[in-house]
Amino acid sequence: MTRKKRFLIGAALLVGSVAYLVYAGVRESSVYYLTIEEFLVKKESLTGEGVRVAGRVRAGSIDKKTTTAGTDLRFVLGDFQKEGGVPVQYTGILPDMFGEGRDVIVEGKYTRDGVLRAQTVMTSCPSKYEAEAGKPPAERSAG
Amino acid sequence: MMEIGALALALGLVLAVYAVLMSLVGGLQRRRDLIASAEHAAFAVWGVTVIAVAALLHALVIHDFNLEYVASYSSSTLPWNYTITALWGGQKGSLLFWLLILSSISSIVLLQNRDRNRDMMPYVTAVLMTICVFFLMLLNFITPPFERLAFTPHEGRDLNPLLQNYWMQIHPPSLYTGYVSCAVPFAFAIAALVTGKLGDNWIRTTRRWTLFAWFFLSLGNLFGAEWAYLVLGWGGYWAWDPVENAAFMPWLTCTAFLHSVMIQEKKDMLKVWNMVLVMLTFLLTIFGTFLTRSGVISSVHSFTQSGLGPFFIGFLAFMGVISVALLIWRLPLLKSENELDSLVSRESAFLFNNLVLVGIAFAVFWGTVFPVISEWVRGVKITVGPPFFNKVNAPLGLMLLFLTGVGPLIAWRRAGWKSIQRNLLPPMAFGLACGLGLVISGMRSYWALVSFSIVAFVLTGIVMEYYRGVRARQAVMGENAAVALLHLIAKNRRRYGGYIIHIGIVMMFAAITGTSVFKQEQQVTLSQGQTLSIGGYTLRYDGIEQESTPHIAYLRAKVAVMDGPKLLEVLKPEKRFYKKPEQPTTEVAIRSTLGADLYLVLGSFDDDTKLVTLLAYINPLVSFLWYGGIVIAFGTGIVILPGGAREPAYAAAQLAKQAVTE
Repeated sequence: MTRKKRFLIGAALLVGSVAYLVYAGVRESSVYYLTIEEFLVKKESLTGEGVRVAGRVRAGSIDKKTTTAGTDLRFVLGDFQKEGGVPVQYTGILPDMFGEGRDVIVEGKYTRDGVLRAQTVMTSCPSKYEAEAGKPPAERSAG
Repeated sequence: MMEIGALALALGLVLAVYAVLMSLVGGLQRRRDLIASAEHAAFAVWGVTVIAVAALLHALVIHDFNLEYVASYSSSTLPWNYTITALWGGQKGSLLFWLLILSSISSIVLLQNRDRNRDMMPYVTAVLMTICVFFLMLLNFITPPFERLAFTPHEGRDLNPLLQNYWMQIHPPSLYTGYVSCAVPFAFAIAALVTGKLGDNWIRTTRRWTLFAWFFLSLGNLFGAEWAYLVLGWGGYWAWDPVENAAFMPWLTCTAFLHSVMIQEKKDMLKVWNMVLVMLTFLLTIFGTFLTRSGVISSVHSFTQSGLGPFFIGFLAFMGVISVALLIWRLPLLKSENELDSLVSRESAFLFNNLVLVGIAFAVFWGTVFPVISEWVRGVKITVGPPFFNKVNAPLGLMLLFLTGVGPLIAWRRAGWKSIQRNLLPPMAFGLACGLGLVISGMRSYWALVSFSIVAFVLTGIVMEYYRGVRARQAVMGENAAVALLHLIAKNRRRYGGYIIHIGIVMMFAAITGTSVFKQEQQVTLSQGQTLSIGGYTLRYDGIEQESTPHIAYLRAKVAVMDGPKLLEVLKPEKRFYKKPEQPTTEVAIRSTLGADLYLVLGSFDDDTKLVTLLAYINPLVSFLWYGGIVIAFGTGIVILPGGAREPAYAAAQLAKQAVTE
């Protein structure tokens, strides 16, 4: 059955390349997803790594400066009850729902100086909206 | 009134369970009376669902805030059209809305088929009603929409402002209709397996439904993209969010099915594969609902909140096990008579197109559930973001695009060198020439060059097909070109409508290439009178404008868009502050031309310094995404509409001959 064989080889090549693409994609673009509690425990070992941390904006910690050079934002990402947290620095446009006490997800790199430099700050939904069609930009929804 | 709604849902559950049992018993014992009784019960399920929906709508319209759902998703200041669409603005309502579509479609399917496909229908009824039972259980026990509050708040919490948008009014109904219609081919597939009537009758019976499902899935995805583009204000339309992926995966497998079905019809092959695709598509629609509704993947908080997750997983497992068991049981009957004649043939182009589509679906699925899997396996949650999806899907997408061009041009069975030379080489040469032209004109992006070359190749191929068809008609029937073109499409609507859909898809590929490769982005903070330059435009910030209504307060930046010194228009990107749930939203301003969109976002306004932060994007070719959608809708309309006379056999044979020698 050479014809069948030839076809099977073609199909196997295709399946193989899909598998390879997925494998390489995961290896190159995966990011640790942690809650702030988990992050605080392991933060030393995460220096320089890409991380995505879910926590809450500590009340009173927002420091925002707008100049013609842009907006520089600093705040403390804390956990849901306790004291402590990690300072976050971010330059850019904030999502509409950002504010004190809001649940946010910060994606960025944890640097040597102990600051989480955010590339993106996403707000997660306030509790009265369910995780569904009405989600804020953070969790862009199509559905 | 509320009691009526709750009662209707309880009654609906009883009726649906009854319909499942009676149609199964009636089908197995060949009892016409039981089958008829089950059918009546299925109609009754539709009736009580309509009553429940009417009850909820009534409560929304009269602002009955004692009802938890009404209090959570509407308010007295909400405009009436959004009061209606609040029906699917929240979890409970949208599950009810889902049931409404499902029971309506079930009734239509029954009316269409109960006389025509008598032996399969009991099982079709049983499957459709089983799905109804599942949703009715959720609505009765897990997320009852008619729950009352202990007190009556004098105002509701309002619909989420992000949903107060035109596209959000039409996006969920389209997507749900698409999702739910996938249940029809699935039900017929199961019925075919149970009855052992595994010819292509079930496929012909459900062909229109499959197209219908595909059409609404396509629209649903597109409307969702448009909504994201206009409302979310980040300059793009697709972010590989789990909820988007949820709607994309069944579209992929459904597309694969629509193609591979042709091989079953033509060559009696791929029966097992088609069954698998139908099942996969249906299960993915349920999985998609699960992703959207339970928030397991995207949010860390919501899993415990809704309690829906385990139910969906259970239902998925139940349907999956039944499907696979039936499939294995009937495997001996699903053997193909024929085999592939050649690797270079339309069949194998279709097969590879199927593999690529399923491959993309797999990659999307993997990326979506990866956090959950990695947590199971390694104990840490690892996410893969948009870069993963882009990296994996860009090459696969281009391969798919290429096959879109090859499929229609290559001969069935075995394409000889001569036919390849005649059909495939000219458009390929043209595609390469276009690529070369782009290199000469300075384009350096590898991806874009490959993509645009293939786009040119596919389009040339389609034009060539049309041209040949018209010429053949002119020669044989003596028609003039316009009449010949109309007749060509009218007499072969499936084929030429399909080509039109391909044109739409190609336009979308061009748009995706344009926006992802050539997008420009600038973020600047300006004081009044200052300017920024992007994409040949000069933008001057001319101050802030404010306005307030009882429902919303508006803040608008006035931005003069200039081409050099010439004023083109004034764009006013705005922030809205909704008053009821105190929440700001972003309304972007867009200057749209065929070549590119200028997309402007008001990032923030600082009251003390009077500085405004603007985000400006240039999105090349993005309008082709929406125009492509219109073309797809048009093409699908041509394929799906009933009627259309076939050519008399003699003329058809003449035409075929002519087309070959032309």
